Amino acid sequence: MRAIYRVATATFHEAWRRRFLNAILIFAVLIIGSSWSLAYLQPGAELKLLIDIGLGSTRFFGMLIAVFLGVRLISDEIEKRTIHTILTKPVTRAQFLLGKFFGSWATVMSNMLLMSLAFYVVFMIKAPGFLLKTGGTPGEGPGIATEFLYSNIAKALGLTLVEMTVVTALAVMASTLFSWIMAAIFSFFVYFVGQVANFFKSLANPEHGAGTLSQVIFRLLYGILPHFEVFDMREAILKGTYVGWETLGMHTGLGLLYTVVILGIAYLAFMNREV
Amino acid sequence: MKAKPWQQAVGWALIVALLLVIQPVDRKVERDRIVLGMHSPTPLTKIVDFDPTAISGVVMGAALGGFRGLAATMMWLKMQELWDRGQGTWFSCLQVMRNVTLLDPYWIEPWKILGWHLAYNLYVETKDPQERGVLLAKGVAALKEGISWNPNTYELYAELGWTYFDKIRDYEEATKWFRASLQFPHPEYLERMIAHAYEQLPDMDRALDWYDYCLKRNPDDGTARGATTTLRLRYLPAWRLMQAGKYDEALKAIDQHLRVDPNGTIGLHVKAHIYEQAGRKREALETWRVSARVSATDQLARYKVSELSAELGLPVSPEEQAPTYLMEQYESSKRMAVPRRGRL
Repeated sequence: MRAIYRVATATFHEAWRRRFLNAILIFAVLIIGSSWSLAYLQPGAELKLLIDIGLGSTRFFGMLIAVFLGVRLISDEIEKRTIHTILTKPVTRAQFLLGKFFGSWATVMSNMLLMSLAFYVVFMIKAPGFLLKTGGTPGEGPGIATEFLYSNIAKALGLTLVEMTVVTALAVMASTLFSWIMAAIFSFFVYFVGQVANFFKSLANPEHGAGTLSQVIFRLLYGILPHFEVFDMREAILKGTYVGWETLGMHTGLGLLYTVVILGIAYLAFMNREV
Repeated sequence: MKAKPWQQAVGWALIVALLLVIQPVDRKVERDRIVLGMHSPTPLTKIVDFDPTAISGVVMGAALGGFRGLAATMMWLKMQELWDRGQGTWFSCLQVMRNVTLLDPYWIEPWKILGWHLAYNLYVETKDPQERGVLLAKGVAALKEGISWNPNTYELYAELGWTYFDKIRDYEEATKWFRASLQFPHPEYLERMIAHAYEQLPDMDRALDWYDYCLKRNPDDGTARGATTTLRLRYLPAWRLMQAGKYDEALKAIDQHLRVDPNGTIGLHVKAHIYEQAGRKREALETWRVSARVSATDQLARYKVSELSAELGLPVSPEEQAPTYLMEQYESSKRMAVPRRGRL
């Protein structure tokens, strides 16, 4: 545990010194902070666009940070050969991998918390005005149901944190398999395809004309891809559907299962890698 | 130190086992999301039915996750640019509009404009009744789909009610959608629209009920006051006589009004209705014919001409014949009609 903690702490401190990550964070906070001005692009639906851009930016920039941070963790150590120094100390590969994961996870979470805070502040300031502008009152705002708006936003941000845990694990796994550029391409690809995993399910449906081979391929893809879209709560926010703690727990559990599987693959790949 | 082959095999077996464990959890989460209203099933079939090439745009938009709204806004700006170029781009506008509704189905404005574009703009672009029918049906379907995504606001119910009222002239169906819109905060005129629809049907009792309702809600509603006065003076005497079974006197009463306004649609509808109630189907048919002739948009009269001609075994001229899509619409409305209890 001590070894994992030490590797994680070192990774966390090192990550905060990376300038490009700080630049992404600053840019993200600026975009989120100014999301209210973009909201005017949809007259009559400003609140909806504010939520869209705010949550979307938090997810998108969180994903960028998680990928760019995660993909360089192992490959950089191998390229710079610093991994030899670490692994000759009494640190096993599993401890090293977990330490790297937790260190980058802590960095991503701290970044995410800052972005979420920025969004929540903007939302608290601008939402009441937008709601009044559209003639809405709590529970009956046109186009957006507001019963559980504030709690749902907080829960949506919470689910984004779970999603970013999966993305961080994915980037760490990719970093054990490829060079960092390849790992970044792989992570982005899996993330974007994972967002539309449901399409594979539909495409595998014989009613849509899928042949036997297509059915097998699409079902397999649907089965092994992480379904990132389940972490998107936007629809529930717009409909004003109450998202219970049990539902949130199920989503979190699914996210943790994805993380364990991905880290398991990363461990198996890393164990076989020549360093 | 590298893992031994058996250790690797065990490791991979564990991964596969975990992937298998994930499947039921994932299915439960997916099911819960649909049941609890957190997610709607992907409208893949609708995309393919409508425009197979649109799928790439929608998949791309979906992949953008939270940026779908922004992507939809950008596409909407593109649509406006196409729109400003003129009529030649209207079918291109349609595709962009449809993509916007697929990308961001919670944005109400594109649904409204899509329905209107199909049922009004593109409708007049063609003279082929079959094609017109398809466009009108697509307009109605678009608005209904929009309602399924946005059931908590009056706007799309009202828009659909208006399409039935003004374009299809299925007043019975129009009142259903206008009434549905009243569940939510709504502008005052929608209540009057229901009364107007009943006037056209004609069903004067219900029209009066709704005007009374409008006046109770807002005693200063000058439009409702004027309409109820007109209705009472022009049509109600004939209507009451008809209800009392005094059909000849009823016809005399309505003729008094028709002498002043011979092409008045409501007057002609009332007269035809009186004939129908009196069992004088031929005269009813002739009156509906007059109504269809004097108003090019009186589709209800065309439907009645077709219906009564079929009943009497008489031929219908092509210009009097209601288009097939309208016949289907009216027949379907009749089949779906729920027996009324009470008046409002």
